[in-house]
Amino acid sequence: MVFSGIPFLFFFLPLCLILYYAVPFSCKNGALLIFSLIFYAWGEPIYILLMLFSTALDYTNGRLMERFGTTRSRRRFFLCCSICINLSVLAFFKYAGFAVSCINGICGTQFPCPQIHLPVGISFYTFQTMSYIIDLYRGEVKAERSYLTYLTYVSMFPQLVAGPIVRFSDIQEQLHRRQITFAGFEQGLLRFMTGLFKKVLIANQAGALWEEIHTLGAADISVATAWLGALCFTLQLYFDFSAYSDMAIGMGKMLGFCYNENFRYPLAAVSVTDFWRRWHISLSTWFRDYVYIPLGGNRKGVPRHLFNIAVVWFLTGLWHGASWNFILWGIYYGVLLILEKYVWGKAFGKLPLWLRHTCTFLIVVFGFVIFAITDMKELGVYIGLLFSFGADTLIDTHFLWYLYNNGMLLVIACILACPVYPWICRKTASFGRKQQFILSVFAGAVLLLLFVLSTAYMVSDTYNPFLYFRF
Amino acid sequence: MITNARIRKAVVCLLCLGILSLSVCFLLGPKKDFSENENRYLAKLPALSIGELLSGAYTESLSDWLADHFPQRDFFVGLKSGVEIAGGRKSINHIYVAEDDYLIEPYDRPQNTERITDTLSRFYAKIDTDKVHVSLMLVPTAVTIYQDKLPAYAPSADQLETAYAIYDTTGIPAIDCTERLFDGAAAGQLYYRTDHHWTTLGAYQGYLAYCDAKGIVPVALESLTQQTVTEEFAGTLYSKINDYSHKKDAITIYTNPEDRLIVTYADTGEVTDSLYNLDYVKEKDKYSLFLNNIHPLIEIENVAAASQDELVLIKDSYANSIVPFLVHHYRKIYVFDTRYYRDGPSSFLADHEAVTDILILYNLNTLDNDTGIRGIY
Repeated sequence: MVFSGIPFLFFFLPLCLILYYAVPFSCKNGALLIFSLIFYAWGEPIYILLMLFSTALDYTNGRLMERFGTTRSRRRFFLCCSICINLSVLAFFKYAGFAVSCINGICGTQFPCPQIHLPVGISFYTFQTMSYIIDLYRGEVKAERSYLTYLTYVSMFPQLVAGPIVRFSDIQEQLHRRQITFAGFEQGLLRFMTGLFKKVLIANQAGALWEEIHTLGAADISVATAWLGALCFTLQLYFDFSAYSDMAIGMGKMLGFCYNENFRYPLAAVSVTDFWRRWHISLSTWFRDYVYIPLGGNRKGVPRHLFNIAVVWFLTGLWHGASWNFILWGIYYGVLLILEKYVWGKAFGKLPLWLRHTCTFLIVVFGFVIFAITDMKELGVYIGLLFSFGADTLIDTHFLWYLYNNGMLLVIACILACPVYPWICRKTASFGRKQQFILSVFAGAVLLLLFVLSTAYMVSDTYNPFLYFRF
Repeated sequence: MITNARIRKAVVCLLCLGILSLSVCFLLGPKKDFSENENRYLAKLPALSIGELLSGAYTESLSDWLADHFPQRDFFVGLKSGVEIAGGRKSINHIYVAEDDYLIEPYDRPQNTERITDTLSRFYAKIDTDKVHVSLMLVPTAVTIYQDKLPAYAPSADQLETAYAIYDTTGIPAIDCTERLFDGAAAGQLYYRTDHHWTTLGAYQGYLAYCDAKGIVPVALESLTQQTVTEEFAGTLYSKINDYSHKKDAITIYTNPEDRLIVTYADTGEVTDSLYNLDYVKEKDKYSLFLNNIHPLIEIENVAAASQDELVLIKDSYANSIVPFLVHHYRKIYVFDTRYYRDGPSSFLADHEAVTDILILYNLNTLDNDTGIRGIY
């Protein structure tokens, strides 16, 4: 079930919230769990067993670690057990097909590729359960006593299928004690709506245009069209993914949970390092805390630091999908980050601000081309088009046609990708009461209109896939 | 940004109310089986079965059902189009919003030209051309004739290129009505604003081109009885856009007072004296009034015809509005819809020695994916 669809918004969510608010506190986790399981089963009826298995495993391991983990080596044993099984499950369901095709490609063998359908959200919940067991090993959290509470944490529907990756340590307290207030509900609903508008009115539309350009065929794409396509995909991915996080955070608030922010206007970053501090924060901090720092980070000399960066970015790429282009995308950022740290970082920091914004933005847009096209041959052709190897003209009528039709959308999307909203909030903070009132009425009216419009788009749009379901 | 607590509360309450009232309306409201606007059956409430539940098919059909029966669906679809048009979009649901309130279907690069050429060639090769005169008329649509009205930079493939390729390769004598249509554009509206068909006036230009090629003296438009049967025609393109403020079309029909017709529908056995079924004026699908919608074979006899010739017409729906002009010149016209006529016209020709002419008439836009043309041979 996607958040931006009719079944979810008009049936699942209201029903879930009404029941959740109606039952006494002691039953709230239970209600949430039942709805989360229904939510997951809606799209993945069979793989729900896999999720139950995965959570039961980590729960048991956690309990055992607490009970018998008197020495470090024993604790390590339980940790290894859990991590090995988790990673094997992930490897099997996500990477088996890719691995076999790689082996076939390298050795010239003909093993049949296993056709495994990827369970929704597996990359997200595997990372969540792993964060639990690692934190437990480090003594940063206490083992959860109740299996149902632990299952509620892993399966919680707001963040189940597309993040943010919520760590157990951040939320354990709230699982047992949390305040559910009308103010929280208000904030949550408004945040959810923001996400809904971003997804339905911008991400889907930008995505449709990217799809159109992508399927046009090399012969009909000029350099300008190719860049327009790349821009559209970048906008689609950002608005899609950050909308998902907005909706998750909003629903969390409505349920009384507080999730960390996952995006901070990444497209307005001033360097590649800065971009990764703003993009999918819960994933990059996960890799930082559980891979990069344990490997030694930057404290063990330059060669080791380079190696650590390479490992982290190879894994980040691989996490995004079982295909060479994602690995390439990870390596692209690994290399850029190394260069920024060791080669041009200082010089780059002295450039004028607008130039740093522009360069970073172009690097990001180009990066997302690698991300977008899974077929390596096609990817090569498209990159060629971006740099006019093969395109006859710089600008053609197709480009003008797309610009002419989508100008409004692109302008609005580009403005909203910049931190305009916090800027307005800052500027209007000093307003008097009367001005605040007028502003509130205006903003409220816009919000309601956007809700009606989003409904219209949802009703008529059959184009409604969530990109991040693949991961 | 909504800093005022009371306003925020009001907005939140209105949002909740909006969501809940729509879901309640859905649950209590009546469900339609068929959407006239979209010309399709809407999804049915799926029956629960364990197998479908486990495979995920059940929830998928349930989602379709929810989307199809959403309250005020047409209003919402129209709202989206309206906002997009206002925002400067010139292409909605792959339909161009052109000048003078025209909605025009673009011509996509054809995929099946080779197969169509092959079918036509094989059909033509079987025919004894000394006895039967075959002609092929591929009608360009509004995207070609009204290209001046298209929005700026609107991409479209070249219909005439396809037409000439087919004429040349098959060798079937061509009747090219392009010039007549371009010339006739000044005379009035040749295509419907809201539908993909040509108007009766457009069909008359096609008829003139046919007469030019055959050396027939055409009946002047003035000598025909003219009747505007509706001014509320919202055709297929209208449905795709669903912008309810869009201007609707008039349908004008022509009858020749001299003709005495016996029209027999082979499938139903119905016999009438008119080429029009005006019952359709009251329905959404008004173009179906020409030749009473779809029939595999229609036999039209004109007792007062100008000649004893017999014509076999192999066609798509474009031809339905040219037949009223052609009937004057043929004692008998057999109208085939090869999508539904099983045996193929070839065997029919063998049984009907009196046939003197064959006209194959298709419009260039639907030709490429018309399944009927494969039934010719």
